[in-house]
Order: sequence, then structure tokens, then C-alpha cells
Amino acid sequence: MIDYKNVLTTCPYCGTGCALHLQVLDEKLVGVLPAKNHVVSEGGLCIKGWNVHAFVNHPDRLTTPLIRKNGKLEEATWDEALTLIADKFGEVKTASGPDSVAILTSAKCTNEENYLLQKFARAVIGTNNVDHCARL
Amino acid sequence: MTNSIPEFETDTNCFLIIGSNTSEGHPLIATRVLKAQKRGAKVIVLDPRKNQIGHWADIFHTFRPGSDVAIFNGLMNVIISESLQDEAFIAERTEDFEALKTLVAEYTPEKVAEISGIPADVIREIARTYAKGKPAAILYAMGITQHTTGVDNVKSTSNLAMLCGNMGILGGGVNPLRGQNNVQGACDMGGLPNVYPGYQAVTIPEVQKKFQDAWGSAGPLTVGMTVTEMLHATQEGKVRALYVMGENPMVSDPDLNHVRHCLEQTEFLVVQDIFLTETAEMAHVVLPGTSFAEKDGTFSNTERRVQRVRQAIKPVGDAKEDWIIICELARKMGASGFDFQSAQAVMEEINKLTPSYGGITYERLEELGSLQWPCPTVDHPGTPYLHKGKFSRGLGKFFALEFKEPNELPNDEYPFTLTTGRLMFHFHTGSMTRRSKKLDSEVPEAYVEINVKDAGKIGLNGHKRVRVTSRRGEIELGVRITDDIKRGVVFIPFHFAEAAANKLTNSAIDPVAKIPEYKVCAVKVEVF
Amino acid sequence: MTDRLTTLRKTIENVLPNVEGVLALRIGPGGITAPHLFSKEHSEELDKLALWPKEPVPDTLKIILRAHPDAKLAIVCRGCEERGIVEMFKHSQLNLDNLTLIGLQCEQDEAEFCRCAKPFTVHSKLTVGEPIEGVPDPLTAKIEAMSQPEKQAFWKQEFEHCIKCYGCRNICPQCFCNICALEDETWVETGRLPMPNPSMYHMVRAMHMTAKCVACRECEETCPADIPMAVHFRLIARDVREMFNYEPGASMDQKPPQLLVLEEGEYERSGLPH
Ligand code: SF4
Ligand code: SF4
Ligand code: SF4
Repeated sequence: MIDYKNVLTTCPYCGTGCALHLQVLDEKLVGVLPAKNHVVSEGGLCIKGWNVHAFVNHPDRLTTPLIRKNGKLEEATWDEALTLIADKFGEVKTASGPDSVAILTSAKCTNEENYLLQKFARAVIGTNNVDHCARL
Repeated sequence: MTNSIPEFETDTNCFLIIGSNTSEGHPLIATRVLKAQKRGAKVIVLDPRKNQIGHWADIFHTFRPGSDVAIFNGLMNVIISESLQDEAFIAERTEDFEALKTLVAEYTPEKVAEISGIPADVIREIARTYAKGKPAAILYAMGITQHTTGVDNVKSTSNLAMLCGNMGILGGGVNPLRGQNNVQGACDMGGLPNVYPGYQAVTIPEVQKKFQDAWGSAGPLTVGMTVTEMLHATQEGKVRALYVMGENPMVSDPDLNHVRHCLEQTEFLVVQDIFLTETAEMAHVVLPGTSFAEKDGTFSNTERRVQRVRQAIKPVGDAKEDWIIICELARKMGASGFDFQSAQAVMEEINKLTPSYGGITYERLEELGSLQWPCPTVDHPGTPYLHKGKFSRGLGKFFALEFKEPNELPNDEYPFTLTTGRLMFHFHTGSMTRRSKKLDSEVPEAYVEINVKDAGKIGLNGHKRVRVTSRRGEIELGVRITDDIKRGVVFIPFHFAEAAANKLTNSAIDPVAKIPEYKVCAVKVEVF
Repeated sequence: MTDRLTTLRKTIENVLPNVEGVLALRIGPGGITAPHLFSKEHSEELDKLALWPKEPVPDTLKIILRAHPDAKLAIVCRGCEERGIVEMFKHSQLNLDNLTLIGLQCEQDEAEFCRCAKPFTVHSKLTVGEPIEGVPDPLTAKIEAMSQPEKQAFWKQEFEHCIKCYGCRNICPQCFCNICALEDETWVETGRLPMPNPSMYHMVRAMHMTAKCVACRECEETCPADIPMAVHFRLIARDVREMFNYEPGASMDQKPPQLLVLEEGEYERSGLPH
């Protein structure tokens, strides 16, 4: 069976917020189609929007957690990585106080992710040391 | 932005665009301005470089980077001395006009011409065009904010807009164009050291209690550290652990040699990203997150428009949706309140705790496509433009602001003013666009843009590469000669890690907004 | 008389059992339409079937056929899209044997929106709606009425507005070269905005469209700078019609002028993409 779909989403580059369809064929991204009756982009895109699918499957993508061992980043399981982080954050928090942990959220991540990460900082760690690179 | 993108095409009669290379930074906003111009609107562009909109603008002029406050004072001087201001608006909706009037009286077009390099007659023409072009919109980007006087610059834009009654009306306003897709959302969601989601201040006990009740635990009543402060604090060991999601300060922050030093000092660095960025390379633990194509969520664009991001494909390899990673980590640390089954469930919690997002639900977004906050309830239509009838603080305040020189000025040793910025073909630190074949082939490597006459002066003479040095570092890169840039100014796009403009930039910051002065520093350019 | 949407839905329902999918438009979130492959497994999706705005459906067909060359599909096409499919067939981009064309006749307001000379299909066996006459193109008339210096100034200004998004090329059903001259530095300088020589991009593309453009206007519609390039191509096509008696998409078996010297069976040797 041929599995083709257009998934309507929002461009991840500049702040204009153009809408675009990701063209998905047999579970692979094959291209981009603008969204004609969209209020912001009106069926157009800039060169970045038109090429937005191109980096997603780049061979450089990180596909597994990495942990530094003897100075080198080595592949690890999710459980190892998350346990290590949880232990270390816990230890730093207990020994030096919550404000010895700092967190950068991201202007490239979703609202939901930004919300969760600042909630993590404030509710789990107990610090207001949250910022992102908006000024940059 | 106080106003909306579609209004530009339909309602705005005059655009004053300053410190925004709109065609490259926000191409589809630039084309809206173009459509307005075809309808008869006037377009004024001021920038140290003659960018594409500069080429088709009705009035274009270059100016000396950092002279923004003087320019605005000069424009207001002309408007007031020719009585072109909106008296009724000033009387009803503003305060402190007299102080402004007294101050800008000093800034005659002749004086401003000397500071900025814009001839006095052009200043007069711009002032008249703006004042008579109601509704007139001011558009700006990082060219206004990334200065040690960034906050003064921003206040100057609203001074001018209020002076001519261009606030709270369709097609007017002051419109900062956000550089990254979700800067607006990151701020809205409380990704800031001083506020919870919806700009609720951390210092207010009731706010703290509200979040304590909702989450079981909340942050302290004191404001946290900004990025720049965090990095400094790692050196003193005050910050021992740093968790970075989807940011790459090793390219994006000023004075990179210093950043590298700080990150090296950090006892425990966690980086969550989709590529092994320059920052991730330094981490102790790297977590593979997902791109926009592999997850659900929402982004908020520069006009406060919240729109859906939809999962198109499964996460690559063993990577996970970032929101799932955060929840798993929180649960690992024994926290409750992180049992979300979907991004939609997270939004439902946001709706409850963030008044301006109260009515922005996935169901409504599915039906309507987008909603602009403030949108407090599910029957609220959203807010295309702000400050209608009333400013959020009551009366709009005029700020009488003196012009101040940038932190670092050119001298004999460093004779050029460096300004940094974006290209249309790349995005931010380049980690995505430089891995897109088409975009990479358009601009595969860094270069410095220099005026033809300056190129002759430094003896460029056919040389293809130059070394650019500031007090903080040096980089080697290609060169592009053009007469579209003001003499004495050089421009370097900041997307390229191997010739990172931010090795040169000055980390001097605006005292209030803590924004570094990316747009002005002194450099020398040498052939080798 | 039932409306076109109902008739089209019925027609698709009838065709669905015999094909692997039917390409047509569907209304998505926020009322935004997009091409969609309707299948018999999910025929309930036909509730969301849409007619307008027109979308580059042949382009989607091209994408699917590249991965599934033998797929048996049907496609809903308007006059311009049908012409596009015919030209793609002539340039070996698709195989018509496995393709069922469902012709959708445009209505007056649609034809006027598109300034379309031929808002009807001629090859499709199945059709929906009544064919109407073509409408004149006021924009072409306006440009033709300009003096020569005015024309030149007009096009120069339009080209200078181009933001080099490549959208017009990306969306065009007739742009399928593996190596695109618009990406060749010999012609178009890379990495510059504004382009140092904006006419070059547009002249190169115009030349490549001489005997291929089927006037679907998808390029104009996606152009953020509103450049009326289909007018440019239409005026060139007029000369092609006069010189070679060729009109893209009009007939199934007439060879395009760029293939005139080749006899049957020689297509392969011509090195055209297959
Ligand atoms: S398509 Fe271009 S203009 Fe539109 S949001 Fe993406 S980067 Fe910005
Ligand atoms: S009108 Fe434009 S998109 Fe359509 S065939 Fe002609 S050039 Fe291609
Ligand atoms: S679609 Fe328009 S702006 Fe984009 S490349 Fe084509 S002509 Fe230029």
C-alpha cells in the first residue's frame, strides 16, 4: 500500500511562522508543500522553508544518548544517561543548593517543551536559573 | 509585535524599518511590506547595509551603527517643531511628554546628521513621511536590541510611535521581528529567570503560591541568572551543573573564547540536541532530542500567533521527543506532575496556569489554525493587535533619552566597526541549515562584507581571504566586496562555527535587558 | 443538478475499488487544503474532499510515482493540471497506462481568478462539471499595452523583488531536471540576496519553459513577491505556437518542438529522464 500524506506544520526557522506541509511518503520525508490559504504565508515560503525537510534525516543526527567516559563521548542507554543526570543533579542540589544548577531552554523547541523545562527547573530543582538565547 | 503581519498588507500606510534586514531575516514579512508598497504605502529603511528592501524602499539611508537613539530623537525633533504630532493621543493616552519635548529640542537634524551620518534633509523627509503616513508601523529586529543601549533604543521606537498616535491602531505599532521561530514562545512559557509562564513575576509571593499549589513546589522569590551570568558563575563554581536544551552558546554567544573557557570549567554539562553541536561536544552527557518534524507541539511566532507543530515521522533512531525526555528525567528524580501522555496534555496545564494562553487549546487550533494571545478563554477570539484603547500599564510613558556611544568604538588600531547578523540562506548557528544540501551550496562558508573603497584601502587587491581581529579574538574567512555597506563598517554573518563572528564580538551588555552588543565592536581587517 | 463536490465524491467512490488511490484535495486543520491520496481503506476521508484552492496535484503524483512507478492511481485534474500531466507524459515523467484522469471543469469565478484561457479538460474520460469558455487575461493585456520602455522597466522592477526562494521552480509540474540550471553558478550567482543580476534567474527559467509551460500559474501563486511570471511565459508560448505550431498539453500525440527531430523509439537515446 502506498502511504502518502501531507502533514501541516509550522516552519522551525525564523519568527514569521509560515505554515507548510511536510510531504511524507512511506514514512519518509520527501518534500515540502506550502499552505495556500494560510493567514501568514499565503502559499509562499522562503528558501529555508522550502528546504526544511532536508536536515531531518542527515547522517549526523544524534540517535542515541552519549556519556563522557575517559574524556570521550560514548554511546549509552537512555536509562544510564538519565540515571547519571538525575544522580548528579540531585547531588549538586543537596551539596551546593538548587541555585548551583542552571538551565537553558530553547527558542527552537516547542511551547510545551519550554514549559516543561522551566517547570523542571522551578519545581524539581527549585531554582529560577532558567534562561534561553532569545537575546542572541 | 504589537500588531499582526496581515495588517501590514492591508492597513499600514508607512513603514519605518530600522535595524532589520527584513528580506533575509524575515523574508515573508518583507514580501508583505512589498505588497503594501504596491498598494501605495511608503517604505523607509535605515540600515548600515543596503539590503534588499533597501533597494526597493522609497527612502533608504545607511547610518553609523549604534546611533539609533539620536536618530529617533532627531525624527521627533522635526515632528514636534513642525507640529506633526498627534496632540489628542498625547493628551489622552500618554504621560511625560514635556520632558521628551525638552530633550529632543536639542537634537536638531543637523546635530543628528553629524552623529548618525544621515543628512539633515533626509531626516526631515523621513520624519514627515512617517508622521503623515498614519497608520504607520515601525519594524525592527536585533539591529535595535543588540546594543548596550538596546533598551533605550526600544523605548525610542515607542516614543516615536506614541508621538504620532500610532499605538493601539490597526496597521501601526512597534513590531520587533523575532529572529527564531519560538523566541516568543520560550519567553511566554517562562524560559526566563524573572518570570513564570505568562510573564508572572517570580518575586510576587501570590504568584509563587499559585505555582506551588499547582506543582507542589515552585522556585524561590529571587530572580535567577541570565545566560551570561550563568556562564560567568560556572567559572567561580557557583553553577556546578548546566542543562542545555536545543541551544548552542558555543556559536551564538558573544566572546566565544570566554564561553569555551566557562563551559570547560563546568563540572557537569548536559546537552540535549539533534546534532553534536559545538556545545554538545563539550558535554558530559548528550541526549538525542527530536526535530520539529518528529514531534507534536506549538510554536508562537513574532506576532504572538500560536500554531501547531505536528509529528510527521517517527523519531530518528533512538532519539526521543524532547518533552518526553524532560518528563522521564523529572520522574527519575522522583518528581510528580510529569506524567503527561501527550503534548496536548501539557498544553492543558499551560491553559490553566497562563492567563494569556487560557483559551488556546488544541481543539481550537485544529479548527481555527491559529490564535494570537492574549486569549484568556475558550470563547475569546484572540488579539491581533495590542494596546487598543489602553496600554497595559495605563498611560503610555514617554522616555526622554540621551544618545550614548556604543561600548567600543573604532580607533587607529581597530579602525572598522563590525556588525553581525543573519543571511537568508542560513539559520542561527547553522546546525540545521548547513546540513541542508541546497542551503549549504548557496553559502558554504563564512565571509566578511566590506565596502569597495575600504577594500582598496586595506590592499585587498584580489586576495580572497582576510583575517579579522578584535580585542577578544581573531578569525580567518572569505571576503565579499560590495558598495551596499557603509564605509567603515564590516559585516559578518554569525552562522559559521569555524569562523565564528562571536569570537570577535563584545560581551558588554545592556544594563537592563542584558543583551550583548553584537551589532557594534571595533575590528581590524588584514589580508594575508 | 447536483453540485460538483457531490458529483466528484461519487465519481471518486466509483473509481476507488479499481485503483490503489485517488489523488485529490482534502481540507485539513484550520481549513487549509492539501493534495491527499484517498484510498478505499479510508473512504470516510472523502467527507473532507475539497475543490478549491487549486493545488499542484500533478507534482504530488510525480513524487509518488518516483517511488511507486507501477502504481495504479487516479487523479482529479483541472484543465491546466491535465495539460501538465500530458506534458509530463511526453517527457517520460509518468506512464499514462496506469493512470485514470478525472477531469474537473472550472467555474467562471475560478477561471477568472486564474485568468485562464482553457479552464476545461479535453483528455479525461471521466469528467465532473460543465466546461466553460476561457476568459481573457487582463494582466497580460495591461502589460502588452505598455510602451517598450515601460515594459522593460516593469519586468526589471518585478525581477528585483525576487527573494530567490526557488518556489516557482519547486512547485512547477514541468520542472523535473536532475541538474537545474538555476543552481549552476555559471548562470545564477549563489548565496546573494538581492541577486546581483536578478533577470538572469528569470530569463533562464523562461527559456526552459518555452514549450513546456501549461499555464497552471502555480508558480505565480507560490511567489511571495507576486511576480506575474506566467504572463512572461505566456507571451513566449505565443511565439512557440506560431513558430512550431505547438501548444503544451493540447494534444496527446503531437511531439514538443524540442523533440521534433526524434523518431519514435529514439527518446531513450535523447538522454531525457525516464
Ligand atoms: S519559510 Fe522562511 S520566512 Fe517563513 S517562517 Fe520559515 S524561515 Fe521564516
Ligand atoms: S504556469 Fe508556472 S508552474 Fe505552471 S507550468 Fe507554467 S511555469 Fe510551471
Ligand atoms: S517564487 Fe518568486 S520569489 Fe521565489 S524564486 Fe520564484 S520568482 Fe523569485
